[in-house]
Amino acid sequence: MKILAILPIFIATVFVSCSSDDTTPNVLVIPVEVPVDYTFTRNNVSTVFFSGQTTRILMAEEIISAFNDQDNASQSSLQAMFDHQEGAVDFGNTSLNESGKNARSKAAASTDFFSANATEATAIKVQFDAYINSQTQEVFPNWNTAASAGVAGQIADGSSTRYVSAKGLEYNQIFAKGLIGALMTDQIINNYLSASVLDAESNVENNNNDVLDGDEPYTTMEHKWDEGYGYLFGTATDLVNPVPTIGEADSFLNKYVGKVESDTNFEGIAQEIFDAFKLGRAAIVAKNYEVRNAQAAILQQKISEVIAIRAIYYLQNGKMAIENNSFGAAFHDLSEGYGFLTSLRFTRDIATGTALFTKSEVDGFVADLMNDGANGLWDVTPATLDAISEAIAAKFSFTVAQAASTN
Amino acid sequence: MKYTPFALLFSVLLFLSCGGDDTAEDTTPSDTFNRNAMLVHWVDNFIQPGYTALETSLNTLSVAADDFVAAPSASSLANARSSWLNAYQAFQTVSMFEIGRAEQLNFRNRLNVYPTNTTELNQLVLSGAWDLELPSTIDVQGFPAVDYLLYGLGTDEEIIAFFAVSNEADNYKAYFTDLVQTMQSLTAEVKSDWDNGFRETYITNTSSSASGAVDQTVNAFLFYYEKALRAGKVGIPAGVFSGSPLPQNVEALYSQENSKQLLETALAAVQNFFIGTGSTGTNGSSLKAYLDVLNTVKNGSDLSSLINTQFETAQVKVNRLQANFVVQIESDNSKMLETYDELQRNVILMKVDMLQALSIDVNYVDADGD
Repeated sequence: MKILAILPIFIATVFVSCSSDDTTPNVLVIPVEVPVDYTFTRNNVSTVFFSGQTTRILMAEEIISAFNDQDNASQSSLQAMFDHQEGAVDFGNTSLNESGKNARSKAAASTDFFSANATEATAIKVQFDAYINSQTQEVFPNWNTAASAGVAGQIADGSSTRYVSAKGLEYNQIFAKGLIGALMTDQIINNYLSASVLDAESNVENNNNDVLDGDEPYTTMEHKWDEGYGYLFGTATDLVNPVPTIGEADSFLNKYVGKVESDTNFEGIAQEIFDAFKLGRAAIVAKNYEVRNAQAAILQQKISEVIAIRAIYYLQNGKMAIENNSFGAAFHDLSEGYGFLTSLRFTRDIATGTALFTKSEVDGFVADLMNDGANGLWDVTPATLDAISEAIAAKFSFTVAQAASTN
Repeated sequence: MKYTPFALLFSVLLFLSCGGDDTAEDTTPSDTFNRNAMLVHWVDNFIQPGYTALETSLNTLSVAADDFVAAPSASSLANARSSWLNAYQAFQTVSMFEIGRAEQLNFRNRLNVYPTNTTELNQLVLSGAWDLELPSTIDVQGFPAVDYLLYGLGTDEEIIAFFAVSNEADNYKAYFTDLVQTMQSLTAEVKSDWDNGFRETYITNTSSSASGAVDQTVNAFLFYYEKALRAGKVGIPAGVFSGSPLPQNVEALYSQENSKQLLETALAAVQNFFIGTGSTGTNGSSLKAYLDVLNTVKNGSDLSSLINTQFETAQVKVNRLQANFVVQIESDNSKMLETYDELQRNVILMKVDMLQALSIDVNYVDADGD
């Protein structure tokens, strides 16, 4: 155990020495000790806060449950939840109603990808609005109709009932899985873990000199990092040690890191992600930005992988269901896959710091999925699902078979 | 730690030597087994007689239901109940064959999703309008819904009153009749498909591929055993998947004293299918025979014997259970859990060892949970 504990310090130090000669040679290099959990304090007061992220995850949970509450939900009630205004009575959880935060304003809103791309940022928000509209205008009226090609309604998936559009889409799934990319992933990896946010304005100088953020117990840089952490672990049972319950905290990124973790091809990824968050945060405390940036890169890569693995997983499971003529099961999988395909837009190429998939690539995947025939998922072929899966896997070091595996 | 590199090297060497042997075996499979004969035995002595028995017993139930609806009384209620139980027993012997038309119709779920959603059922009855073809009505129809109508509405007197004199008596009558008719028509559709061509398609589909009849049937059999029998009848109500027991999820909740005998029938049916003892006691080709021809051995014993013995072991555990599973769960759930454990052991022997020996791939995945 003693050796294990020293090893990361050694690595961290080596890392620093590599780059210490090209920038500021007079800065004292401080090795980063690996913390036992995500507990960080200053003068015995915790410096970790991410209540805004927890709030948005909880709001998103209520929205996706309301999506299938045909008796009580409407276009305006769902839209009001998504674009919540402080004090409006939109949620069952009253503390959410009192909050001034909402999910919509943070969808496709990262500094790196969207601060100079308002056109696409707006289009993506409008796309989420459109899912709400389609669910309420297209699917709700056919709630007690059997679905068929070209007709919205219900379809059996084993003993479950799925409610789909005329093209076989479950909008609640697309909305939820799309939000994993547009909200959680984009905010974490393209915003809070990015040097453009962590090092904005005088954040580095303030962090170096322990200048706190107003009356708060944290420096701005510490807080930004924690906000990224919150979008993944903000609803975990044990906020400082969330790996044992990975997958149980929410219906969004936490859940799907858990799903990937349970595929033996990727076992350990939850710990790697948590370790990088923890060490990166300790590096900020130690003012060691090289170690911090290395952890950010690990997180950007791993979280991007989670999105891609789940996109492929659902396309491949949907393919298997189509081959078995189980359309209800197929539409459920492919609707989840559709959402994860749109989430690919927010994955990140760590070498360039830009999007791993262009807008036209992602739009192309969605078009391929929906355009094998006039009726969308009713007509999609196994060959199309394979082609999209291979195109995604080509940008990563895992195979389609590994991503598609369930154990 | 010190030994790790050696252990690794050793295991790599082992791997290589095993790999060599495996390839040799794979290229010369000793699979001279007559799949066609097995498929013929399955159709002629399990599947078709099974659906015929179910159809006959549902026809009897239909007559009894008509009698009860025409003149609700203690005796017509008792008659409807015993007819229902006979049909439910018959269903237990065909539910494992969810292939072909049955699979397309979602047959098992149409006939046996439980627990019944009684709130929704009563709403439908009150409204006087329902469509049992809609997927969302899957939990208000089939045997469990009839169980609720014939046992769950109240005391026997109250049940009779619901059908005889209540304000909604006509709706309850119509609903009961529709439930029985729907089960009849679904069964007729599956049976008719087997009788009109599917039998021939099935027995000649002897390829050892995922679309072959043996692969499809074995997958349906295992899925049934794992999900419907092991989990549905025992594991879920015993709380294996939820942390705490869910007695309200037993099969035949409203006539709880029947829950054990339904499990017994189902377990005997899967064992008989495995060893090849058909509905009239006719013995024939089977998965057991197939494993024996392949000479499949595990830990020094014939795999087929291990599986068959495991069925017996599970049966012994079932025998120790009370007839009423709600009472069993609430008084001594450990016996339910022990039963589950023995049923689970055969999931491993069949899903892992047997499928490997037969070169069959599992074609179903565990549900995603959302």
